[in-house]
Amino acid sequence: MSSHAATGQIDHHHDHTTTTGIPNKKLLWWAFLASDCMFFGALISTHLIYRLNPPPGNAVPTQVFNIELTSFSTFILLMSSLLMALAVNAIQRGNIKSTRVMLLGTMFFGCIFLGGQVYEFAHFVAVKKMTLSNSIFGSTFYTLTGTHGTHVAIGVLLLGMMYVRTFKPTHGNGLIKNFVHLLAVCAVMGVSFIWLVPGLIEVVYGVPLTEMLHHAAVPLAVGAVALVATFVLGRTSGDVEFGEKNAGDVEAIGLYWHFVDIVWIIIFTAVYLLEYL
Amino acid sequence: MSAPAAHSAEAGHQEPSKFHVFIQIAMVLAVITGIEVVLVYLPLAKWLVVSTLCILSAVKFMFVIFIFMHLKWDKLLCTILFFIGLVLAGGTMWALLHLFGAEASKPLSSIVGLISL
Repeated sequence: MSSHAATGQIDHHHDHTTTTGIPNKKLLWWAFLASDCMFFGALISTHLIYRLNPPPGNAVPTQVFNIELTSFSTFILLMSSLLMALAVNAIQRGNIKSTRVMLLGTMFFGCIFLGGQVYEFAHFVAVKKMTLSNSIFGSTFYTLTGTHGTHVAIGVLLLGMMYVRTFKPTHGNGLIKNFVHLLAVCAVMGVSFIWLVPGLIEVVYGVPLTEMLHHAAVPLAVGAVALVATFVLGRTSGDVEFGEKNAGDVEAIGLYWHFVDIVWIIIFTAVYLLEYL
Repeated sequence: MSAPAAHSAEAGHQEPSKFHVFIQIAMVLAVITGIEVVLVYLPLAKWLVVSTLCILSAVKFMFVIFIFMHLKWDKLLCTILFFIGLVLAGGTMWALLHLFGAEASKPLSSIVGLISL
């Protein structure tokens, strides 16, 4: 018997029930991330190849990009990775309350990143007149960063599902309550990154706050109601099923989240920073 | 918190905390990002800036996968599995960039010299 089994502790890095010593779920996630490396490798290569030999009439990246905003987004995504690592650390210690806070923080930071991307795309199309189809640079840029943004959005959804799952009661299934809770969380996150964060960035760049509130009044009101519902449904009194035994599930979502972070590390350097040389 | 979870929490506290390690790594990553942004505006040789940016990105990449993604503490098979994908992706990128970067691959319509990565 291993020392962990003897002391009743859960070994979070090794699974003695599988032949590889690795939990099957974790192995699956690593295999998926390895394949996703190749996917993003192809997209980044395509972008760089067209930057090597830009056709006439191509957009000039340095006139389009807003490096301050992108740097801020990069910082936010790195900090979301920290919160995700802390969420995994918390659940491995059986601290559910801390896990919930860290998962919410990770989702919040993810929404700020996505909101920055929504603002960036809207700004590029409306002001810089760079669309998906009017230049090769636009095509490869939107495809690459849009695919990454989709990965982040899926990550936020997975985190939301994991967050709601932490409230599943020990007795009774609570399925409908959890479903409503998930809908509320999704509504809050959706409103945050589609309307709230891009609107606040516009306010930072000089648009009056009243104009932003007037422009997005309905979605913001829906988001506020969903936020209240999230808090109300998040008030739990009984025992929950979720615990240290689910650390592997949180870690699996964490692997995905960190992966989108490392992909952005490459995109930030290859797509944004190298253009300024 | 449920009773089994509370018991596990007590057991878990006997493990060394990674909390401070994660905080320190996050601060290092933030500082490296700041250095990268400043670096592109410095009047240095282009090859030096590009090399430094690549190295700094690789350092950030390694910190995240080995510390945040726990590869440092996991079985070696996880590292091998991920690096198979990474090496294939990197090799494909290297091959494509050299293939399309060759003189004979340049399209006649391209603006030569406008940008060279």
